[in-house]
Formats: sequence, C-alpha cells, structure tokens
Amino acid sequence: MPKATFIVHLDDFHGFLVRDRYPSSLTLNEKILNLIFYEQQKDKKEELSYSNVEGMKIAAYSSSLYPRWMVCSILSAEEDFDLLRVELAGSGRLILAILAVDPDSFSLEEILKTGSVLKELSEEQRLADVFLTPSSALLLERMQKEGIEKAAKLSIWLREQIQNNDVDLREAMAPLMDSGVVKVELLSKTSEMVFLVKDVFGYREPPVDSILRTKEAIPSITEKYREFVTDFFSPPPPNKGYNPTVPVDDANSPIFEDREKISRIIAERIQYRVLTSLRDQPLSIVDISQKTSLPESIVKKVLFALEAEKIAVRFDEGDLWGLLTNPRIESFLPEYVLEIIAKKLKEKEISPEAARRHLELLIQTWGVAK
Amino acid sequence: MIRGVFVLGEQGNMIYSKEYAKGDSKADLVEFLINLSDFLKTIDLEDKTEYMNAVISRIFYSKKDSFTFMFVADKADDASQIEEKMGELVESFMRDYANLALANQSLDGFDEKVDEIAVTMVKVAILGFAGVGKTTTLHLLRGETLPLVHDPTIGVSIKKLPEEISNANIVLWDLAGQSRFSILWAKMIANAQVVIIVTDSTLENVLRSKKLVSLVKDEVPDAKVIGIANKQDLPTALTPERVGQILSIPTYELVAIDISYRDRLIQIIRRAILEGKAEAKAA
Repeated sequence: MPKATFIVHLDDFHGFLVRDRYPSSLTLNEKILNLIFYEQQKDKKEELSYSNVEGMKIAAYSSSLYPRWMVCSILSAEEDFDLLRVELAGSGRLILAILAVDPDSFSLEEILKTGSVLKELSEEQRLADVFLTPSSALLLERMQKEGIEKAAKLSIWLREQIQNNDVDLREAMAPLMDSGVVKVELLSKTSEMVFLVKDVFGYREPPVDSILRTKEAIPSITEKYREFVTDFFSPPPPNKGYNPTVPVDDANSPIFEDREKISRIIAERIQYRVLTSLRDQPLSIVDISQKTSLPESIVKKVLFALEAEKIAVRFDEGDLWGLLTNPRIESFLPEYVLEIIAKKLKEKEISPEAARRHLELLIQTWGVAK
Repeated sequence: MIRGVFVLGEQGNMIYSKEYAKGDSKADLVEFLINLSDFLKTIDLEDKTEYMNAVISRIFYSKKDSFTFMFVADKADDASQIEEKMGELVESFMRDYANLALANQSLDGFDEKVDEIAVTMVKVAILGFAGVGKTTTLHLLRGETLPLVHDPTIGVSIKKLPEEISNANIVLWDLAGQSRFSILWAKMIANAQVVIIVTDSTLENVLRSKKLVSLVKDEVPDAKVIGIANKQDLPTALTPERVGQILSIPTYELVAIDISYRDRLIQIIRRAILEGKAEAKAA
C-alpha cells in the first residue's frame, strides 16, 4: 500500500483543492500539486502517470470521465511503480467512481484499507461505448450496410451526415476499433480500408440463470421471482412485454432508447459491478457489498438506481435483491457481410486483396469452422 | 461561490438560468434540476431554503408560490450565506418579476439583479511568456514587497486581490510563462472573466504574444482581454499604443516595479470586469 494517497480537484476558480487525504497528517503545497498536475498533463495519453516531485515518488491517476480530478499516491522508496501499475490504476478508478456516486459517505481510508480496485473495462463495457458515442453508433449502422468501405469514403459520408467538416473519423471510430467491431488497415500502400468483423446487439435478457440458481438456493422466493420477471417480459394482454427482436425502423423507438439506457448502465463502472454481482442469484446488500468490495451505502444507492431502470428488484423476504432483467451487450459474427463482400467483389467495388483480407479478419476473430 | 442560478415555473419550465462557471454536462444538470423541481412539488419547504450535495457541488433550493429557485454552489461555501442570498433572490423575484414571468413577459433587469446577488468571485488570469513581469504585476496589485530574486512560477499561483468589485472577490491566476507549462494555459484560463496578457514591450515578445491572444479568444471567447505593455522604463520598450496595435487588444502601459502604477492598474482591471459584463449582456 502506498505511503500516502490524496485526491485533488482543479477548480476553475479556487485552483487546486485537496478533496481527501490519507493519512490525514499528510501536508502538501501548491508547488507539489502544480508539478503533479503538469506531469500528468504532459503524459495525458495514459491514465496513470509517474513523476518524481520534490524527492517524492508520485503516481497520479486521472480519467476522461472525471476531468480535472486526480488520485495521487506517494510510493515508498522500496515500491516499484511498474509493479504497482495495475493496482494503482484500479484503485484510482474505484475512488473516482465512488466519489461520483456517493460523495457524502465516501471514505478514502476505508477504500484504501480494503485494497479494492476497479478492473479495466470488460469487453461488454467496451461494446457499450459504441452506443454511447452517437457518431460511432451512426458508423456502425453504415458499416452494417457496407460491410467493407474505404476510410476516405466513410469520412466524407460521416461529414455529410453530421454536417461538420472538422470531424475526425479515427476519433469517431475509436469505440468501434477499441471493442474490435471494426478493423482498419492500409491496403496496397494508399488505400485505408475499414472492415466490419463483429456486429453488436444490446438487449435485456430474462435472468434465467439467476432464477434457476434461486430455485436451488432460495426456493422460497422462486415463485415471486418468476412472477416479477414474467410481468416484465410477457405480461397478460393487452400489455406488451419487452421484445428487442421485433424489427423497428424508427430511430426514436423505445427499443433504441432502451439500448442506450442499457449501454449507459453497463458502461458506468460501479453500477456494472453491482449488476454483475447479481447475475448468479439474488443477494442481500451485505452480500453484494462483500462480493463487490463496495461500501453498503453505495450498494444501496446503486440498487435504487437499478430498480428505477427495471434492472433490479427487491424481495421482501430476507431483504434480497435480484435481477429483474439482465442487460447484455453482445457481439456476433456478421454473416451477412459475406454476401456483401461477394457482391462488391463481383462489381469490382473492392479488390480481390481487400476481399481476401476481410475473410482472413473474420476467421481470425471468430475462428475456423470445424 | 454560486456557479449557477435557475428559476423554474410550475410545469418545470426554465424561466431563467445563468451559469457563472461553465461545466461539462449542462444538459444533465438541467434535467436533474427539472426532476428535482418536480419532486419538490410533493413536499412543503415552508418558505425555507434547503440543500443537497452532488459531488463537489451543493444544490440549494427554495419554493415560493409556483416558482422553484435553485443555486448550484460549492460544498465548501458557507451555507448560511448562500441561504441569505437565496432569500434576497426570492424576495426580489417575487416583488418585481413574478407577475411578468406568469404573463410570459421578458424579465428586464432581473439579470443585473442576479449578478448583484450571486456573483461572489471574479477570475482574472495573467498570461504572458517567461520573465515579462507577470508575478511582479501580481505583487504590485496585492501591494506586496517585490522579491529580490527572480523565482519562476511553477504551474499557476492563485491569489486574491485585497479590493472587491460589487461585493465580489477578485481572484488572480498568475500562470507560469515558461514554454514547458504552455500545455496548461488553455485549462487554467477556463472561466476567466478577464485575461491580462503581459508583455515586456520588446518587439520580439509582443509578436510572440499574438499567439496568446488567439489562444485566449479560442478558449474563453466571452472573456475581456487586455494587454499590458510592461517595462516601459526600458529603452527597448515599444509604446503601449504600438503594442496594442500589434496585439489588437486595448493595451496599457506599466512599470510593474513602480508602486505608483498600482491604483491605475486596479482601475483598469475594474473597468475590464465591468465592460466584460456589459459586453456579455449585450451579446
């Protein structure tokens, strides 16, 4: 554990404010805070930066989700920054996320003592980012039609769509590239091609596994649990249940809106942590707190928020919480691109080299059929 | 400090809003405030001001008849002072503007009243390349003795001016001029109402400083920008008029090591703040 940890916020009017510190006896001055901030800004491509300030070994974590906030750790002489990198980033991530959810009951000491961390984004969370970045969602739709496209052509199309000449295709496409939905490669030295290798589907799944586990572990609530879930997914007529597979053309349809809601919840790190803890079976707040290493006050707040979004549901018996719906963002093999590739190749819209490369990328991503 | 003032009508409609510090997620904030006002319909605040915390902010709210009044302030602020200001705002609104709001008329004069009540802090950033006398200007403004040894600023040095303007504190942000710190300038001048660009009045430095004027105009387009032609006691100094022509901003002469310039400079800053406000209003 580092010698000391502190959280700094750069306020536009007051300057550097130390929001919390541990141990409380730690003293800091304006010069130290300035130098840490400077070093962190210099290396801003990374979430975690390391600097030696006034003889102190300092690691600073920052995130674009919380601009102008830093979680800084002072390492002891024996501690090696490179060995602690994952842990420091994980605890910085957790501290800022908790601070945003529940600033009032936030305790830096408690978090540091539990040694709890927030891991890097899961694949599901990276995929969620696609639906949260409007230009990425737009590009995904385009790629579903085109399958394979020249980057230059895609860039012109995007500019026309959003009526902005300054748009940077790489930036707009970052969530698609980070999550492996598209691959961008330079072919024949001049032509940069974008290949769709994964498609994405966001929906609410009935919590089948959780219900089955409940039947074994807590049979007394199984009937009630089934009732809750049935009411949501297939209520008695004339009410319509939730069915994401019904085709919709309207961009403002509730299903599209709901997909964005699901993505937001999955991308939000603390909510996601609580949500995943419930995928197995219903748990009490104490159990969730233990499983997630999050303070109970935070768990409670998150559960209320998930309940409002029809994701979590509370059982009076034993004060248990379970999943009413299980939000999922999943990727699948876009088989339909095979036809597109064949058509484009036939009509000489793409070169044989591009078609071959696209197939190779699909095989690399999804494996060879046996 | 109060960062935002919001008045909502009975249907959760925004009657008036003003933000003194622009944040990253205004849409989220407004949505939250509208939901909060909806929730407040279900409880009786008995004409009192209450508050709730949100990360580093504190949202103060009060209700009167069909109107909901909200301040977004800092958690570190003295709650009783903010409550007092809320009382003033509610009283002034109900006395002079409530009927206009109910009749969907424009609230002429309310904006000035809000400024008078809510503005507690004005940010003035001092920008310029290394060694032009920014920190010396800061010492002069604060009436401090000048240090004998030049000690370059690291990052930013933030100090209050002893003087106030319309009951608001003036906070000076003295930004480090060394080129390595230039990556911080855009972030540090955010939400400044006035930016002072200090030059040492040499041709080379003034020409370089044109870049700073562009930076400021891009980053804080609403800020009032003024130039300072410092070191006018040196033989190489261009006249303030010439410096102003090159920079294309109103520019004033200064010898930052001469205390007799202090009052004049404070007047210039005061005027810049007031002019900035008037321009913002006209815009």
